[in-house]
Amino acid sequence: MTTAIRPESLPPMAITWDSTRVNKTGSWRYLRPVYRDKTPPCHAGCPTTNEIERVLYWVALGDLDRAWEILTAENPFPAITGRVCHHPCESRCNRGRFDEAVGIREVERFLGDWALRAGKRVEPLVPKKSNKRVAVVGGGPAGLACAYHLARLGHAATVFEANPEPGGVLRYGIPNYRLPKSVLKAELHKLKDLDVEIRTNARVGQDVSWDELQRQYDAIFVATGVWKSLPLRVPGEDLKGVLSGLQFLKALHQGQGQPLSEELGERVVVVGGGNTAMDVARTALRLGKRVVIAYRRTRAEMPAIPEEIEEALAEGAELIERVSPTKILGEDGRVVGIELQKMRLGEPDESGRRRPVPIEGSEFVLEADTVITAIGEAPDFAGLPEELHDEWVVPVDEWGRVLRQKVFAGGDVIDQPHTVVDALASGKRAAIAIDLFLKGKLDRKEADEIRRRIELPQGGLSMRRYVEDPGALLLDNTRIVEYEQLNPAYFQKIARTPPQERPPEARVRDFSEVKPGFDWDEALREAERCLHCGVCNGCDNCFVFCPDLAVTRNAGADGRGYPYAINYDYCKGCGICVQECPRAVLELVREGSGEGG
Amino acid sequence: MTVTNSNGNADSATATITRAVPRVKTLKELAAQEEREKRFQGGHSLCAGCSIPVMVRSVLNTIDIPVVVVNATGCLEVATTRYPTTAWNVPWLHVAFENAAAAASGVEVAFRVLKRKGRTAQELGFELPGEVRVVVFGGDGGTYDIGLQALSGALERGHRFTYICYDNEAYMNTGNQRSGATPPLAHTTTTPVGRESLGKLQQRKDLTEIAVAHHVPYVAQASISHWQDLVRKVEAALRADGPSFLNVLAPCQRGWGYEPCLTVEIARLAVETRFWPLYEVVEGEYRLNALPKKPKPVSEWLKTQKRFAHLLKPENRHLLDELQLQVDREWEKLLRRCEGRVLEV
Repeated sequence: MTTAIRPESLPPMAITWDSTRVNKTGSWRYLRPVYRDKTPPCHAGCPTTNEIERVLYWVALGDLDRAWEILTAENPFPAITGRVCHHPCESRCNRGRFDEAVGIREVERFLGDWALRAGKRVEPLVPKKSNKRVAVVGGGPAGLACAYHLARLGHAATVFEANPEPGGVLRYGIPNYRLPKSVLKAELHKLKDLDVEIRTNARVGQDVSWDELQRQYDAIFVATGVWKSLPLRVPGEDLKGVLSGLQFLKALHQGQGQPLSEELGERVVVVGGGNTAMDVARTALRLGKRVVIAYRRTRAEMPAIPEEIEEALAEGAELIERVSPTKILGEDGRVVGIELQKMRLGEPDESGRRRPVPIEGSEFVLEADTVITAIGEAPDFAGLPEELHDEWVVPVDEWGRVLRQKVFAGGDVIDQPHTVVDALASGKRAAIAIDLFLKGKLDRKEADEIRRRIELPQGGLSMRRYVEDPGALLLDNTRIVEYEQLNPAYFQKIARTPPQERPPEARVRDFSEVKPGFDWDEALREAERCLHCGVCNGCDNCFVFCPDLAVTRNAGADGRGYPYAINYDYCKGCGICVQECPRAVLELVREGSGEGG
Repeated sequence: MTVTNSNGNADSATATITRAVPRVKTLKELAAQEEREKRFQGGHSLCAGCSIPVMVRSVLNTIDIPVVVVNATGCLEVATTRYPTTAWNVPWLHVAFENAAAAASGVEVAFRVLKRKGRTAQELGFELPGEVRVVVFGGDGGTYDIGLQALSGALERGHRFTYICYDNEAYMNTGNQRSGATPPLAHTTTTPVGRESLGKLQQRKDLTEIAVAHHVPYVAQASISHWQDLVRKVEAALRADGPSFLNVLAPCQRGWGYEPCLTVEIARLAVETRFWPLYEVVEGEYRLNALPKKPKPVSEWLKTQKRFAHLLKPENRHLLDELQLQVDREWEKLLRRCEGRVLEV
């Protein structure tokens, strides 16, 4: 008591001067609440382990620098993935169970674009250069990501790119209306900032030999991608007017749009249901063609990103489901039509999708001037040693390493989903593996321990966890927080912010971008929708509901960086803080079990 | 702060809901206030998971100016002032079970008189603050029953004070004996459930309505689960020029029979099942403060507590139905009184 009351000036009454704080009520406790951050599903669901929750946290607080730093630790090119990623994070978002998933990709794009405008530069994560040299074969997303992470870890990386420009599928595949070349160019500037050497027009096996790479470099990363289109294997495939999707897109990107357009004629039939098929269809629409997409299953089974399908149809493409080509019809050596056979869906195959079964005698003919096939791609192993690959892929171990040599591989040439983000992830994995390899740790037990520390439940490897002091890691990387573990009483329903987009009839006339992207307000609003599953965001619920005033707000008082600490002298272990934590950060452990410190 | 009136229609489906959040203290501000001045401390011997200190903290942290607390006999008084220690870091007064409101009247008048007489620090031995708030905390035993007459008198005399009842629905301090606040059919040690009895046979007293009948400026019903609503109500009560009364539902893990961690959850369920509606009466005008979008059946609340376990047996289905009817009836009555006025924070 600090007041200046003199007891003798008051009438007779019992006055107590001591505080109840002498009663250490913590001795009542048999259960102990502990703070333990867990893995949010978006974080685990992102192949390249973007720390989405933290990124949204800092965006919502307006600290874009910090958000960007955390994001670019894992993902070199947020302005690219913010446009083209198939966002598995959003499919895993717990908010989807409450109202609608957070629009993570649009916020990522906002942050990426902001950094480009602000001229942000990435710095190495490790101050010291290693004087080790790594050759990266293939300048697509996997190779560039690998070079980026290697450079940030202090190694000198040289990228060998067969084409005149780096970027791989980002440059020669994805059309401008999804990923403007200016954005690609600006993002790839990061590699210059990190002193990564990119040698273009340098095809391995032609301009530079494999043996040279073996001799001159301490490690090699192979990410040459899949650039051979799979044939339809139907009669008529050699007719003039039958193109492969990749061929078509690449020609267009190399500035042959006009002559190409004249060759196509009026009616274009695109065979396939993946992202290449959508890119081809939408590009053809922009060249003023009438476009039909023929797919052997139904729209629900199409491997393309759902938004891409939706946008293609909105722009006027026609979709014919459950058909498979049986013959391409020609006159005078030129395509005049395609014969399609109707299919029905049978039993699920190994991909879990129902297998299309032909219906005998259901064939019909569709008139066409051009048939573009996009039913899948295969790698081109020319220039690579025989022992490196089998018929379809370069087999790698869990670190992305080939044959226990100094060779690593990633991207579409290894057995993994053919997506940009999976390519980026495999590049990062190889960078970490090469770093361990160059330090002589990869074949030791130590590598397994490191992997346990940096691996998330769905197999992604976190660069932040790799470079950070293990003692500073708060996040339990073995447990994912599911919706059932949250306390939704503290969440309010807020609709997802729809990204603006140009109307289909306007955008189909040119190759400019379809979506302008979020502005500041939209990004902020969307970032604020994050529920921060499993990660303490300092909401104060535990503090305010503690009956024993045992939760203190002394930041980092427990030495681990939580905004709160529990004073176990007074905590009676009631567990209200655990129950009322909206995001399952707090948990109760048995007193004396040794858990939770 | 905005209040809407949709054509005086009391139908919940057509009532206009105002979600414009009036400026109330945020959690961060409450926390900051507590860091500046720890008015209530740990080390008290209230049970693990007790709701009362949760409420006391929120109330005291809402008030920025000096406060005098008067405490009726009850859990809070007994467990926070075991001689020679106190959890209170504010002037705190306890006289007896029945007269907390009378004692508070005295404090309020004494302060006013000392002010009017212009008594100096020299004369008093301490500096008289410019303003103080007098807050009474009493349990349902000390408020619904034993202290009701003193409360009624103080409300009627028009003292400027705030009486806050923490309603845990029985005499919990002495071992869970029934009170005027105990809901019908609840098990207590004096209304035991067994072969001969199915819990309390009588109705619950509607103390909030009794307070309203005193025509005081501000009366409200709140719950510890809805802290924002509680904070706003404390602010409104303190602003009122005259007596104000808050009836706050305060679950008791020992008496109600549930896991201590569920205290806030059960208080929230009481609101969501409309067993304990949140509302306020400002100068005689009723406003609803929580309009559950999907009201849950009252059984959702009952089933969380052992004192109602017998109501979930198939043979007692009729009792459960009757209780639901009663909750529905009371809710309809409240809606009519609110005439469509809803204010949610």
